[in-house]
Formats: sequence, C-alpha cells, structure tokens
Amino acid sequence: MNRLPARLSDAPIGVRDPDVEESIDLDRPWLVLVWNDPINLMSYVTFVLQKLFGYSREKAEAMMLEVHNNGRSVVASGTREKAELDVFRLHEHGLWATMQQD
Amino acid sequence: MAFGFRRPFQAKGGDRFIVNLGERERAVVRAVCEDMLGTIDDPDLQPLFRRVYPVAHATDPGIDAAYQEMVHADLVATRRSTIERVLACVDDPELDREQLECWMIGLNTVRLVLGTRLDVQEDSTPELEPDDPALVARAVYEFLGGILEMIVRSLSATL
Repeated sequence: MNRLPARLSDAPIGVRDPDVEESIDLDRPWLVLVWNDPINLMSYVTFVLQKLFGYSREKAEAMMLEVHNNGRSVVASGTREKAELDVFRLHEHGLWATMQQD
Repeated sequence: MAFGFRRPFQAKGGDRFIVNLGERERAVVRAVCEDMLGTIDDPDLQPLFRRVYPVAHATDPGIDAAYQEMVHADLVATRRSTIERVLACVDDPELDREQLECWMIGLNTVRLVLGTRLDVQEDSTPELEPDDPALVARAVYEFLGGILEMIVRSLSATL
C-alpha cells in the first residue's frame, strides 16, 4: 500500500516533481459513504453515526434518512488515513461503508 | 418473547444498565453467540458473512484487496472478542455501557449473518408458513431486532 509524505512540504524542493499530478490529487479529500442495506435498523444506524462521529441526533438522523431514501450518504471526509479508520470502525459496527476520493 | 411495556435495558445512572431479561431470553442470546463463535472462521460459511466484511473501495477492486488484506484479520479478531465479551456477561443482572455496546455490536453482527441467510430484503417481511424451514431462524432474527432496538433506545437516551 502506498504511503505518502505526511506533508507536501516534505517533498524535495527545487527538483522537478514528476508526480505533480498525483500531488494535486492528494489535496482532494477522501469521502466516507454509508450505503443502504435491508438489515441494519434505522435507529441503530443513527446511533452508530452519533457515537463514532459525535454528531447530534438530528444530524445523524438526517444522514440515516439520506441513506435510507437515496441509497447512500457521505458521513465523513478527510485524509486517506482518517477515511480508512472511519471505514474500519463503521465495518466493525456492521454498516456498509466505502471510501472514495472526492 | 415480546417486550410489551417492559424495559429490558434500564438505565440506572452512572452508565450502568439493569438487564430485565428472563432466562429463556438470555439462553437465546448465549446460543446465537456460541453459534457465531463456531462459524466465524468456517471458510464454507464465508458467503453468509459478506455483510460483516464489506467492500471498502467500491470503485477499485485492487485497492480494496490491499485494504482487506491489511484489516481483515483485525476485523475478525475484534468480532470474536466482542462476542466473547457478550458471553462473559450474558447472565449478569447489570451491564456497564461498554458491555452493553458489546451486546449491541455483537448481536447486530449475528443479525447481519442471519438476515443474509434468510435473504431479507428491504420492506418485505412476508409471514412464513408454520412448516417453513426458515421459521425458527426468522423468529430469532426478529427477536434480535427487538433486543437491538431496546439496547439502542437505552444507549441513545443516555448519550
């Protein structure tokens, strides 16, 4: 798995960077999505979003309803590492979560 | 095993919950957890676990395979320990918040596997015939749904 420099400023200066394209890509946040499934209870999904992300009940419920009605909702975003951790914790709780770059 | 007006997981302050479940209900919880521990590593049953180990990178199977390789063992280990923790306190008259969250996550995992086996679909819960071979599994599935709803209610009320 590719590990990227922690900060772009860690990249060598004054050297032509062949990966400029990719570096720009790095700035685009990763989105964490939760997908609709027929088994998880609506109340459970709401509670897990509150618990994992500290969202208010209203916000978590709105996200859950978006999942239920539209099939999916973006529940968090950030660096790749953060998104991976979020997805792992959502999977631990049995939610259908994926990540993708914005 | 309907709950009626009973509150099976009653908050008593200090992040502790009184468990108002009877012996039979606890026996069901124990049985499904023991069953889960016996099947969690069975390679032949892995299709039933597909909701328990979902895809993380839907748009890129290569990245997903790398991700799964990185986390799968951890995910199996945390599931196992969660279920073991439920079994360790299945007869306790009271649970703390962490234990009750183990019940929630563990029983939800069991329900995901059962629901997959029963091929549960959105908004379709036809009554099964009395001689349907899936009748018992469906009854357990519905029982677990009731328990989970009650756990979530108690945990959310005390967030």
